[in-house]
Amino acid sequence: MIELFVNGKRYRVSAPEDAPLLWVIREELGLTGTKFGCGKGICGACTVLVDDTPTRSCITPLGSVKGKRIITIEGIPSNHPIKRAWKELDVPQCGYCQPGQIVEAYALLRRNPKATKEEIISVMSSHLCRCGTYQRVLKAIQRAQRLMGVKT
Amino acid sequence: MINRRDFIKLSALGLGIFLLPDGFKILKAKEVRGLKPALWANITKDNYLILLVNKSEMGQGVYTGLAMVVADELDFPWERVRVKPAPASEIYKDPKMGMQLTGGSTSLRNMHEFLRLLGASMREMLIVVASKEWQVPKDRLIAKGGYVTDGKRRASYGELWQKTMNVPVPSNPKLKDPSEFIYIGKGVPRIDTEEKVEGKAVFGIDVRLKDMLYAVVERPPSFGSKLKAYDDSQTKKVEGVVAVFPISTGVAVCAKSFYSALKGRERLKVEWTKSPLEGFDDQKLEEYYLNMLKKQGVVARREGNPRRELERAKKKVRAIYLLPYLYHATMEPMACVADVKEDRCVVYAPTQAQTWALKTAKEITGLPEERIEIITTYLGGGFGRKANVEFIREALEISKRLKKPVKLIYTREDDVKSGYYRPMNATLLEGALDEKGRVVALYHKIAVAPIGATQGIEDTLYKIPNLHVEFVRVDLPIPVWFWRSVGHSHNAFTLETFIDRLAKEGKRDPVDLRLELLRNNERAKKVIEVVAEKAGWGKKPKKGEAMGLAYHFSFGSHVAQVAEVSLDKKTGKVRVHRVVCAIDLGPMVIHPDLVVAQMESAINMGLSAALKEAVRFSNGGPSSLNFDTYPLLTMEEAPEVEVYIVKGEGPMGGVGEPGLPPIAPAVANALFWGYGIEINRLPMSPEYVRSLL
Repeated sequence: MIELFVNGKRYRVSAPEDAPLLWVIREELGLTGTKFGCGKGICGACTVLVDDTPTRSCITPLGSVKGKRIITIEGIPSNHPIKRAWKELDVPQCGYCQPGQIVEAYALLRRNPKATKEEIISVMSSHLCRCGTYQRVLKAIQRAQRLMGVKT
Repeated sequence: MINRRDFIKLSALGLGIFLLPDGFKILKAKEVRGLKPALWANITKDNYLILLVNKSEMGQGVYTGLAMVVADELDFPWERVRVKPAPASEIYKDPKMGMQLTGGSTSLRNMHEFLRLLGASMREMLIVVASKEWQVPKDRLIAKGGYVTDGKRRASYGELWQKTMNVPVPSNPKLKDPSEFIYIGKGVPRIDTEEKVEGKAVFGIDVRLKDMLYAVVERPPSFGSKLKAYDDSQTKKVEGVVAVFPISTGVAVCAKSFYSALKGRERLKVEWTKSPLEGFDDQKLEEYYLNMLKKQGVVARREGNPRRELERAKKKVRAIYLLPYLYHATMEPMACVADVKEDRCVVYAPTQAQTWALKTAKEITGLPEERIEIITTYLGGGFGRKANVEFIREALEISKRLKKPVKLIYTREDDVKSGYYRPMNATLLEGALDEKGRVVALYHKIAVAPIGATQGIEDTLYKIPNLHVEFVRVDLPIPVWFWRSVGHSHNAFTLETFIDRLAKEGKRDPVDLRLELLRNNERAKKVIEVVAEKAGWGKKPKKGEAMGLAYHFSFGSHVAQVAEVSLDKKTGKVRVHRVVCAIDLGPMVIHPDLVVAQMESAINMGLSAALKEAVRFSNGGPSSLNFDTYPLLTMEEAPEVEVYIVKGEGPMGGVGEPGLPPIAPAVANALFWGYGIEINRLPMSPEYVRSLL
């Protein structure tokens, strides 16, 4: 049994240590907001926070996150500026890559609330979106900065 | 206007809409013989409107677009509207298509008239009920914002709804005058945003059933190979693996978790028969297609005598293009949950094609239609790929064998290996000009698989007196399929880049030349004029160093785009800074921001393909199996996009696809005028572009 702390809750899972965190979160914890995209850590759809650091859960073995704090899309409060901005601008199209993008953007603004446009683009360029919501993702992050009262 | 004789049912109310050649007739269900009860709309007692939607939500915003049309005519508060996917059924077929299918940029075009009528009928019936209840003449009642009132009393639609069952269905419900619209033409918040931002939206890959197993299929590395033998002795030792067996497309590994299934598959040893494409790599495919182009094809369109004009002309241009296979790359790979039991079958699928899914389930299970339920989930991208139902067939086969619910998931590599690409093609273009630089002849020949082969060429709106369009059919065992904008995706590229080469040869401005070729089409001319003006055509680009324009008509809409581009001559890297886009989809624009979003989307996807994408081959199969070797556009490569909606006369046009075809030629045209290079192949990768300098 491995103990996991996800979104402030404690879980005990029986999956082997080498099982990717992504599948454990989705199948054993039933938190399906975190998505499978490539299985190689390239597309970013599986991004979660492990001790505040954006992490590609599809290539993260379960054994490596024992005792660490994990936050998934479901763990970011609905009224957080990042989610509010995303909703105001109707960012998602198909919506599949959006949890990963939102988690990444949430971590970015916690780390660097005053991130410049260039910094935002540099960080968010590690996420793939086939619907092409990039223009709106950028605007939403800048909108969230304003909602947070950040002067950029 | 819908003019096919057909039935559509609204039977929460016992309403049926009878479609006649000259319009609609609404009947009560019992008057429509032979129809089973079904549900299009319902209003709950606590005043929520529940709509069943017969189109798949894959990002294009169709749940929002369809529902707002009903809500507008019904005059109902948007925040109380809920949508549910309609199950696969005869009743929910798109009356213009005769199928339940989402594709061809047709959802709102085909459904909006019916849905307006639905909302208007419901509203009239609510008024009749209130009139009877309160003994007040109908013309003293107002139905607005989800309530009926006579000025003194007020009742919610939900309170009155049940009683509409006993009211005659209006034979000719009055539709709103456009000046009365509350949502149409203005827009509403997307109905799917909340769930998608919270991570609560359920895609095919997210469905979980009790006692469900997970499956992955090992597929052949080359197209056309079949299973010869397999050894699962190591696979079966993996903890969690429950079963290994062959299915029609490969070997299924089933386990209690997906990671166990994957681990099991890694240890599977499979032998495949020799592929008919053995030895086919990129180079061999190129040679094959170029060779096919020399063969005689079928003539798709012929005007005048293009051969004679080409021989006579002093000014001529000729080009041969080679465009690659493209992968859809839906961010959600194919995934499906099937539960096949002795006497019933339930399928949860992110499908664009409910009718085909149902047909497939009937074939696999042998069950009658009424024992099969096809439930459409959200689609994590579609782009045409999810109108193919092979992944549903596989899930059904596996569940039938296991007698248990099963979730089949494709890994990214499986998804690429399954094929169904946008076809590769080779195209020959020859054009002749007169002394004034007018296009007098065009010869267009394409060698391609038969998927929208000559779309956008044989029906080009350009007025060219001598025109020849020829199609050589290619039948390689590489599965091809509809890819957002289908044949237009390649044909707009070849035609629109060639027009600019003709313009240069004839010493003409490419905008002027297009306006001349489109002289009889006001709508086409208008989008070009608008985009040229907004982009500052003829002036220095705002960003970047060169400007290119392209225009294309597809799926009922006219689109013109200008791209502002720069090129790093050292690296060969092409940068697109800004794209100005004008679309004319007719006089009725239901949700302008969804149109803008679809233009942004199509521009990004088209640009991704133009700059980066090609399925690479080795030994008869794809070698670019994941995003490391099949890269997509990223945010840092995405241009600023400005969209202008032009309202022309005519029927409603589509939105999901028409924004894609013009972007690749607009970028290539910018490189052509700005840097003097001719792009005859895609993608415009740094290596390729550098080789042209």
